[in-house]
Amino acid sequence: MNAVANVSRPAAVPMAAMPILQAKKLTVRFDGFPAVRDVDLAIADGELRVIIGANGAGKSTLLDLLCGKILPSEGEIWLRERNITGIGEAAIARSGLGRKFQTPTVFKEMTVLENLQVASNRRVRVFENLFDWLPSRPSDKEAAVAERTGLLGAINRRASELSHGQLQWLELAMVLSQDPKIVLLDEPAAGMTAAETDKTAELLLDLAGSHTVLVIEHDMAFVRLICRTITVMHQGAVLAEGTAAEIEHNPAVIEAYLGSAGLSHA
Amino acid sequence: MDERMKHRTATIAAYLLFFAVIFALPFFLNSFWTNRVATYLVYSICAVGISLSWGYAGILSLGQGLFFGIGAYMLAMSLTLAVPENNPVPELMLLNMQPDAVRDLCCVTPGSFLWIPFRSVAFGMIAAIVVPCVLAAGLGYVMFKRRTTGVYVSIITLAFALIGQLLIINNQPLTGGFNGLANLAWLEIGGFEFDPYGPSIYYLVAGTLLAVVLVSRAMLSARIGQVLKAVREDEARARYLGYDVENYKLFIFCFSAGIAGLAGMLFTLTAEFASPSLMATSFSISMVIWAATGGRASLLGACIGALLVNFVGSVASESPAFQPVWPIVLGGLFVFVVLVMPNGIAGIVKDLIGRSGKARAVGQEVYP
Repeated sequence: MNAVANVSRPAAVPMAAMPILQAKKLTVRFDGFPAVRDVDLAIADGELRVIIGANGAGKSTLLDLLCGKILPSEGEIWLRERNITGIGEAAIARSGLGRKFQTPTVFKEMTVLENLQVASNRRVRVFENLFDWLPSRPSDKEAAVAERTGLLGAINRRASELSHGQLQWLELAMVLSQDPKIVLLDEPAAGMTAAETDKTAELLLDLAGSHTVLVIEHDMAFVRLICRTITVMHQGAVLAEGTAAEIEHNPAVIEAYLGSAGLSHA
Repeated sequence: MDERMKHRTATIAAYLLFFAVIFALPFFLNSFWTNRVATYLVYSICAVGISLSWGYAGILSLGQGLFFGIGAYMLAMSLTLAVPENNPVPELMLLNMQPDAVRDLCCVTPGSFLWIPFRSVAFGMIAAIVVPCVLAAGLGYVMFKRRTTGVYVSIITLAFALIGQLLIINNQPLTGGFNGLANLAWLEIGGFEFDPYGPSIYYLVAGTLLAVVLVSRAMLSARIGQVLKAVREDEARARYLGYDVENYKLFIFCFSAGIAGLAGMLFTLTAEFASPSLMATSFSISMVIWAATGGRASLLGACIGALLVNFVGSVASESPAFQPVWPIVLGGLFVFVVLVMPNGIAGIVKDLIGRSGKARAVGQEVYP
């Protein structure tokens, strides 16, 4: 888990030569209605990118496309020099994309440790796991992730007994144990208390650099906490992209989403 | 933590007690009941397979009877040919052949050549496990790659069991049709003959049950058991963690089918027949009821469920007044179990053990 040590914060718009994740002219139509239209996105290695937009702007659909949950009608998704369009959710996950859903999606009838064990196990084939005895204690990596997300004390508790905030943390912990290159987060702070939100923001800033992080967020207070490059989506398309200051003063954004008062009152 | 230890100790004690009783039983039973209980233990083996696929991986197959029946037929074919008067050609074929047909297995009736390898009993025994596995692999591949889940899997497997039953009934010159295969020799291995009413068959079945339970438990203690549980809990989540869910489902479906085939083969030895009724929908559903009653996510619970339901059923069937009511009772039992005790007998026992410790949350993990 190299993310533990790395706290270096990347510059506002770090653009390496080769983006780690690229969406090219991504379009998906549901019954003819384009939920995502011609989206071009290039995320640099180690970047922390925030996607904002009103309800129905296509943010979650975009994440669904990236992680393979839905297939694009047109366009491609590239992970470095590999086209990962349509290779299947599991294969996309194995190639280094971890996804956290908006509503916490964990294995409810299993303990925190079991959830982490399933997530951290990177030998995913059937016959690799047939003769691999299951340890009853967490590995160093699992313990480190549990510690980092504040779940170490609850490691033997069943997930169904956890609070909503803890469930969010557990799913985040699972995604981290998966050790992905790219972390996709759908409203990670939803349903969290102010203190938990601060802690989440801290964790994301901590992750950026060692991981590439793509966050969808609704809560502008949270966005301000992690304020980096922001992509604004509107009606399925990318409306604007830039730093918080640029976005705040972009007339189209103000018109469509933020309201005249700007970021602070959104 | 010490509660987990307590739970573990109780589990091991329950397994030891169960198998001690099973292995001691023949000393107290006459030959009729030895044979009966051996048949119930065959059902227990089948219930273990259902517990694995349904209880642990969430795949409810209503076609286990198809695999059970195939297992039964494979060995029954061999044991038919082992009867001296069925040589060179089984009687059932003589009754159904064309008058001018050559009296040889190669061509006495259409397709009769398929029987040739079954001259070897070993072939019949291996085929009883391999054929159900291969069939389940084909069926499972088509279902799971298309991401068929839940009730659709149940309906498709149920339909396939019916197809199997019809194929057997409608191909009388090849299969014995509706009557099945009933004139069977005893199984003989290295000069030793297994008497269906003696303790030898009983211990063969009980030993097989023990082996199946041990192998299954070992598998569930390995990582694969955890992944299967994860698949049961949330298939999509498992996919986004990089697991090819279809392959896991396919594996456990085949494994379960193999166990059903093995049980069917042993059934041929205790019951001394194989018939299309083994592939009937009602029988496949009965199997699910055994597992549900005992506790579908408990291997031991499934074993006990199969024993108990069948014991009560056969005692009940002895009274002519009760016999016609039994299917209704069985159906009612299923509804009751699903609604009132979803974790079956094993769940209740676990609750009782847990209660002496602390109060437990609802919807908790089922007994291992």
